[in-house]
Amino acid sequence: MRKYFLSLIYVGLFSSLFSACSQHGCYQDECMKTQEVHVGEKHGCHQDECIKIQEVHVGEKIVIQDEPKKEVEVEKPNCDTLRSSGIYGEVLCRDKPITISVVGQGVAPMNTTSPAQAYALAKRAAVADSYRLIAEKVKGVYVEGDDLVSNMMVKRSNIRTSVAAMVRNANIVETSFKEGLCEVEMEIKISYDQFLF
Amino acid sequence: MRSRNGNKNFLRPIFILILCSSLVLNASEYLISYSYIVKDTVLFNERLQVSQAMKPCEDIESDSIVLPTNGSKSLNQIIKNNSFEFTNFIHTLGIDVKHKETTINAQNSSTTILTLKTRCFKVDFNDNLARITALK
Repeated sequence: MRKYFLSLIYVGLFSSLFSACSQHGCYQDECMKTQEVHVGEKHGCHQDECIKIQEVHVGEKIVIQDEPKKEVEVEKPNCDTLRSSGIYGEVLCRDKPITISVVGQGVAPMNTTSPAQAYALAKRAAVADSYRLIAEKVKGVYVEGDDLVSNMMVKRSNIRTSVAAMVRNANIVETSFKEGLCEVEMEIKISYDQFLF
Repeated sequence: MRSRNGNKNFLRPIFILILCSSLVLNASEYLISYSYIVKDTVLFNERLQVSQAMKPCEDIESDSIVLPTNGSKSLNQIIKNNSFEFTNFIHTLGIDVKHKETTINAQNSSTTILTLKTRCFKVDFNDNLARITALK
């Protein structure tokens, strides 16, 4: 009879323990650590500030609290400050147009009939070079390169650059022709409204 | 001849109109394209193509240049005689720039192509001058 009562008590104890663990969906060891932590109340934050609470049932209730949202104001770049900083070089702003100046070079071909023809052809080449330089400055250059290395030695090195742009209203400022080399100084005034992005 | 409202002569504006219209002897439209290639900073090829438009260009007038005709009625001849001025004028209209540069084992070679895409021009031949107006 005594044994029977003792066995009943043991069975009752085990069944109660098992039922408690099954409610939380965890094993016996983990149930021993289960605690409810009310971080929001402990830290004294208001209900509005505690935006996101995540509960993780791995033995402990973990409450993750996000920081209160604050509006971050991003300072817009001012043209004057950009200009004065000197980092970006010339900066195109709405109020002030910028002038881009380049010097193009051209060489006369070998088979010219007269110095005048040599000058004319060299100047044309120099003008083309100036246009190219303006396009490079305003629009940028596409650069592509590859190196072939074999047995720890560079066998072949290729660099390809290309520019494509439409240039108008560029003016020739000065032209010089010395010893077969023609130099053309060209400038273009660019305003914010004219510039086609 | 006297008008009803006074001494205003109606013949004068008619005479001015006839005079102005006689100055413009012929107006026609041409298609012009221009391109030149510069290879390794040396002018390689230059091409100017002029042809009469087969149908009217319905465009707005923009920049213009006035060239002396020297008695010629051919636009090709006028442009040939004033090639320097005309190419400068073409440059102001806007030119497409295409440049390719290749460096192989530190040896550089470049090709630059400048092109005026085929564009319609209105040409007014006067007595001694030809007015070439770009249309866009």
